[in-house]
Amino acid sequence: MNWTGFLFGASAALALVGALFAVGLKNIFHNILGFALSLVGVAGLFLTLGSDFLAIVLLLVYVGALGIAMVYAVMLSQPLDAPRAPRSLPKVAGAALLAAAVAMALWAVLHRAHFPPQAGALEVTPQFTGFRLLSDYVLAFELISVLLVVAMIGAVMVARKDRSAAARKAPPGSP
Amino acid sequence: MTWLHWYLLVALLLFCIGLYGLVQRRSLVAMLIALELMLAAVSLNVVAITSLSGRSSSVGQVVAIILIGVAAAEGAVALSLFVAIQREVQSINVENLSELKG
Repeated sequence: MNWTGFLFGASAALALVGALFAVGLKNIFHNILGFALSLVGVAGLFLTLGSDFLAIVLLLVYVGALGIAMVYAVMLSQPLDAPRAPRSLPKVAGAALLAAAVAMALWAVLHRAHFPPQAGALEVTPQFTGFRLLSDYVLAFELISVLLVVAMIGAVMVARKDRSAAARKAPPGSP
Repeated sequence: MTWLHWYLLVALLLFCIGLYGLVQRRSLVAMLIALELMLAAVSLNVVAITSLSGRSSSVGQVVAIILIGVAAAEGAVALSLFVAIQREVQSINVENLSELKG
């Protein structure tokens, strides 16, 4: 077994096992850890494809930023020791059935699909990506920056405590 | 099965695990995790197809970067909404968010 095959197998296993942890475990912190594990696996898959820059970006954004933000959101919201209502079995079975049906349908299309082999030069280095982003896809590049600014300001506005309303509602002296 | 089929199979499984989580979980944060898994599966799909087939592999890189940016924006807005919902309803369980049921 060659080196790329081994890296592919290990990364794919990491991604899928992490995803199962992220979805299947009961504790929300374990879910977030599984999510991070899964994204490390996906970053490994990007490495096997030669896209090392994308792998780094994926790690930074998903595992670094989004994981930490999720931990903060969990700590700000639900008490971890609160009792959970039991999940009804038909709903879980329905969800599993839906996912299995979608997987079967996609696999039925995928396993007989034929892809032409890679024809052009492999342009996956950051130089090519940056060139494309600032020439052919400059509109998308600008739009994504506007989107990020709007999302950031919107997030701050939504999560901000409305002090004036809280002061009006709460009687003076109460926390 | 070529290499590309293996990559697409992994992305497919990742997507369906995410779909299962999105439908089955009730905590909003857990649903967001499942949604982000699905988005990661999509970007893996795009990068695998453009790197192993066709002739313009840099397009896949650009699409994947934009997808990651959208995922980050979505996550930021979603998490701040969860915090606001928690402040309003004292819960982020979706079964308690039935005010608009009619």
